[in-house]
Amino acid sequence: MSPCRPRRGERPVATSEEIAEAYADWRARSNENERLKKMVRGWDRRVHLSTTDTAEGYTLEVRDQVLSQLYPGHVGQPDLIVTGSSEDFCDMFWGDLNPSAKYMSGEITLAGSQEDVMRLDAISMVAFLDQ
Amino acid sequence: MAEWGRECDVVVVGAGLAGLSAARHLVRSGLDVVVVEARDRVGGRSWSDTTSSGVVVDRGGQWLGPTQDHLAALAEEFGVVTFPTFISGEAVELRDGSRFTYTGLIPTSDSAAAAEGIEAILDLDLAGLEVPLDAPWEAEGAGGLDGQTLGTWLDEHLRSPRARGIIDVAIEAIFGAGPREMSLLFALFYLHAGGGLTNLARTTGGAQERRFVGGTQQLAIGLAAELEGRIEFGTPVDAVTHSPEQVVVTSSRAEDGAPHRSVKARRAVIALPPALSVRFDWSPPLPWLRDQLSMRMPMGSVTKLHALYPEPFWRDDGLNGQLISPNGVLGSTFDDSPPDGSHGRLVGFIAADKCRHLERAGRDTLRAAALEELERAFGPRAAEPTEIVEQHWSAEEFTRGGPVAICVPGALTGFGPSLRQPVGAVHWAGTETATRWCGYLDGAISSGLRAADEVLEALGNEPVQAEAGRATRGDL
Repeated sequence: MSPCRPRRGERPVATSEEIAEAYADWRARSNENERLKKMVRGWDRRVHLSTTDTAEGYTLEVRDQVLSQLYPGHVGQPDLIVTGSSEDFCDMFWGDLNPSAKYMSGEITLAGSQEDVMRLDAISMVAFLDQ
Repeated sequence: MAEWGRECDVVVVGAGLAGLSAARHLVRSGLDVVVVEARDRVGGRSWSDTTSSGVVVDRGGQWLGPTQDHLAALAEEFGVVTFPTFISGEAVELRDGSRFTYTGLIPTSDSAAAAEGIEAILDLDLAGLEVPLDAPWEAEGAGGLDGQTLGTWLDEHLRSPRARGIIDVAIEAIFGAGPREMSLLFALFYLHAGGGLTNLARTTGGAQERRFVGGTQQLAIGLAAELEGRIEFGTPVDAVTHSPEQVVVTSSRAEDGAPHRSVKARRAVIALPPALSVRFDWSPPLPWLRDQLSMRMPMGSVTKLHALYPEPFWRDDGLNGQLISPNGVLGSTFDDSPPDGSHGRLVGFIAADKCRHLERAGRDTLRAAALEELERAFGPRAAEPTEIVEQHWSAEEFTRGGPVAICVPGALTGFGPSLRQPVGAVHWAGTETATRWCGYLDGAISSGLRAADEVLEALGNEPVQAEAGRATRGDL
């Protein structure tokens, strides 16, 4: 059950603590997934996350096929920028939301080089499907 | 009407978006141009037709996606409004006699198969990025890539038959051909040219993102308006006589019964699929490298089917009109309704082997099978359309297939440099010659502009933006 469920009578938002908790779950699952490890071989990148509703920023990295912890704020120069609502990030990290649907509706956007966008797009879909 | 038996600077064969784009660019640069078109309409593979119930259906190319800048620019120029493809709700997957719904790019009923499919698509898309768009034959390992089919690669890299079924059906709709029919190198080039398989398969953010109010053919009609009096309709070319200085294009079967008509020009732009361009009687014969390239670029096989309904009833059921059906007649469908939803319309593709098998079985069988499949996907109302429009592109005398020509193994590495290489005074256009969005309407436009630039350079003209109706050079 996602802790990011909508709150009654208000537009749902996820706090940084909630996102961090969801991300920790996603990270643990992703770092154990052999398919994902193969897909990020040789692909060391820094990713900035930006929330559209809570105006928060976060940073994560992929280094040596391992996903880092989630750092608060935008750290360093990003290779990729992912923009979406705090709720969607939270749901995606818990594995409750198919990121592909959000990319296709334009509610989550990826910005970066063509190769990096292709990679992150595929990796996040596999993380959802292969959990 | 253009004069026949006349002389001009450039004769353009084919009034699709490639030929018209070339012709307009040349006219604007001050040259005297005649366009020769076999049909009685412009547009080629862009054809917006009014059905018996009075609605406009795009029988050919119909979508606009991000980075298709040439297509978007023409829409803006001619004031053709575009609108987003309807995507709200879930898509339907039919497989193994069962029906599933899903959101996102790929059916999720078998998540392990979907993950395997995504991994394979990423591998293909990344490999595509390594293929040079202007010279795929120069890719690293080009010989090995061109020595196998996309199907061979998928056989080796995909274990899940379900994942394979999904990728096959996407490939069939995109090319009108199955993965076993085309060179892997060609497939990688084509994916790169359109931003990747993910991009080609997508609605929002991809190649099916937007549609045109009133249809895509308005763009060809807009271009033709600037070429008034220069387009000769109903005039299939059947002979080309050429030298480095001159080209004579002849038609002996023009619709008005004239026994023999010809245009003599300093240069020609042939804006047709390669397989059609070699059906003319060439004198002298084309260089064999060019001719054999054409033998290795067959057209895909596709029938486009539109089913019209009083309303887009699937939307009320939370469906977006998209279907993936790997073993079905209609491999894939999209919501094709007008922007105001005033009636419902689904468009689907019967492609590759399915198209060939059903042609043998007969069109009644094809139609019945398609309706049965729509009913399974979208419910009983789908079985009772008010009208059905079928466009059998392979049966079109002046296209002979679609959506695009493919390359068989060995074509690009053996013959690729001949694809755009002018032959004396003859230049080549058509979406098959494009380096971006090859096979798409956008690629057709850019290919025409590229060929026109070649002609201008060859004739020593500067490309200039001239007023329509400006006096032409007439200095032959």
